This record gives sequence, structure tokens and C-alpha cells, in this order.
Amino acid sequence: MACTAVTALGLSGCSLWPLRRQPAAPAGLAAESRQQPALSGDGRLLASLVDRGGRTTVLLQERRTGRVLPLRQLRNRQPHSSPSLSWNGRYLALLVQQGGRRQAVIEDRATGQQHPLFLPADQEPQQLSLAPDGQSIALELITGGSRRLQVFSLAAMLEPDRAPGLLESGGGPPLQP
Amino acid sequence: MSRQASFGAGLWGGALALLLTGCQAGLRPIAALNQPLSGLGDSQSPSLNSNWLALISSRPGSRAQVQLIDRLRHAPVPLPGLNRPDSLPISVAVDQRGERLALVRQRDDRSELVIHRRSLQASQVVPIEPAGVPQRVSLSADGRVLAVEVSRGGLWQVDLLELP
Repeated sequence: MACTAVTALGLSGCSLWPLRRQPAAPAGLAAESRQQPALSGDGRLLASLVDRGGRTTVLLQERRTGRVLPLRQLRNRQPHSSPSLSWNGRYLALLVQQGGRRQAVIEDRATGQQHPLFLPADQEPQQLSLAPDGQSIALELITGGSRRLQVFSLAAMLEPDRAPGLLESGGGPPLQP
Repeated sequence: MSRQASFGAGLWGGALALLLTGCQAGLRPIAALNQPLSGLGDSQSPSLNSNWLALISSRPGSRAQVQLIDRLRHAPVPLPGLNRPDSLPISVAVDQRGERLALVRQRDDRSELVIHRRSLQASQVVPIEPAGVPQRVSLSADGRVLAVEVSRGGLWQVDLLELP
């Protein structure tokens, strides 16, 4: 039965779960090279890297419509890499170029604020992953020739960006049944 | 003039130090989680949420493998059926429940996209159509959408799949 469902959707071979493919390239971007996709926690937004005038630039779009959302704060800090989104897409974390080195930053799309994450000079960030609630971040760091992951709390820096229906911390008494 | 310049530099340095200190105060290492990470050897390809951290770790002389760390217990959990001796993981992502893992791995000189369900201890290879070479994967935290970077005909593209 599962095989039938998958075949009907155009996939080959037997499958445990049916999958549905969606064209990833919205109008006007079909022939453009796109790398390093990152989905928001709810899957509504897609960040990816595209080429803009020879500079690798992050592009934020609504996944279903392809509508491009503005990211004004990140101009002139290319090349961008390793985008990562929070649950509702309020926060976009990524690596930008700062002087001669990469720097991890978090853009708060709700306030327009940008939060740079300062690291010791001997630690170069290579990749990152922002927790969907925006309360912690994992950084892949090159230290002394080896790759290490370190996780940092952002609770003192960012408000939570949780899935709808979840209470904010300190947001009042629990709901009564 | 030089005194003014010196004063200005001092002010600038002080402001910068204050700025750095202020921002650093917001970025606090989570020692309880970083401690087990330091014992995993080289590690890369992080996928983080409030409950889980998926990553690829490798030690000298041994094969790279996917690790899933329980953030409540600060310890890796077993992943039966996922790590194979004949494959090399390239990119991994995990959903918020730690139930679904999406993985790109190299096996028999070709790259393949795999979805693994922990409760079933089962992995499914997802065909890339049209044919292409998957490289990097992202899974929405709700586990319902998968985005995979695919090299196809000299162009990098992003394929999207909706999962039931």
C-alpha cells in the first residue's frame, strides 16, 4: 500500500512513507544556483545562498509562494554562509564576513536588531545551527586544526521564538483545562 | 593633538571593550552539553533544537558516524540501523522530537539521501529526481519538510519534500 502511494507521487521503489515533492525554485529563480538550504521550524520559510553580483548572499523566501523577504541589515557583509532559522523565522543566524574573518551573527527580523556573536580570536566559526526556539546555538569551530562543536545559551540575548500554542517563559499562569 | 588622539583611542577602546563584554554576557557556553561533545573527537554538521543535537563525529582511525545527543541527559543515544560500516555521513538534521533524522551519506562511491525513523529503527533511501548528487540537508523542526542541496548538471539546486 505504501509502495503504491509513493509510486503515485512519482517516486520509485518501495517506501515506508509517502513523500510529496515540491518545486524548490520559485518563479524567476529556476536557473539560479542555490546552496545551503535552511528551513524555519514550521517549514514556512526557506533560506538559501545565491549569487548576487559575484557575492554569495543569503536569500529568505516563503517556501510555498517564493516571495522574497527583505534582509537589509546583511548587505555588504558577504560572503554569507550557513544560514539557520528559528521556529517562526523571527531569527536568522548565519556567518558573515567581518574584516578578514568570519563572524556569526543573528538577525532579529522583528526588531531589525543584529546580534554579533563574539568568539576568541583563535576560534573560527565554520557552520552553525540555531535552535528553533532561539534560546541556544551550536557553532562548529576550527580550533588548533580540529573541528569542534560548542553549544551556547542565548537566553540572555534573545526572546524565545516558539511554536504557536507554547507558553513563553514567565508568560503567566498555565492554562486551565 | 596627540593627547586628544590618545584620549579618543582610549574612549574607543573602552567602548569596544564594553560592547564586547556586553555581547559576550549574552553568549554563555552550556558546559553540561559541551563536556560530552569534547569527548567525541572532531565533530561537524550540527543540527540543534531544544531537546536534541545531531552531529557527525570522527576519531582518528575510525569511521565518521552520526551522533544524537539528548540535551536533557547530556548524553548520546543509540541509533540502531542508522550508522553503517559501508557508508560515510556527510550531513545530518533532526526534528524537534528526535524521531526523524535526515541524512546525506556516501555509500559505494555515490551519495544518497536517507530518512531515518528512530521509533521504527528504519531508514528509507529517498531517490533524487531528476538525478543529482545530494550534499547538505535541512529538516524543519516539525519534521514535515525536508530541503536538500543537490548538484545537478553543474548547478546547485534545492529540492523540497513534504513528509506526512
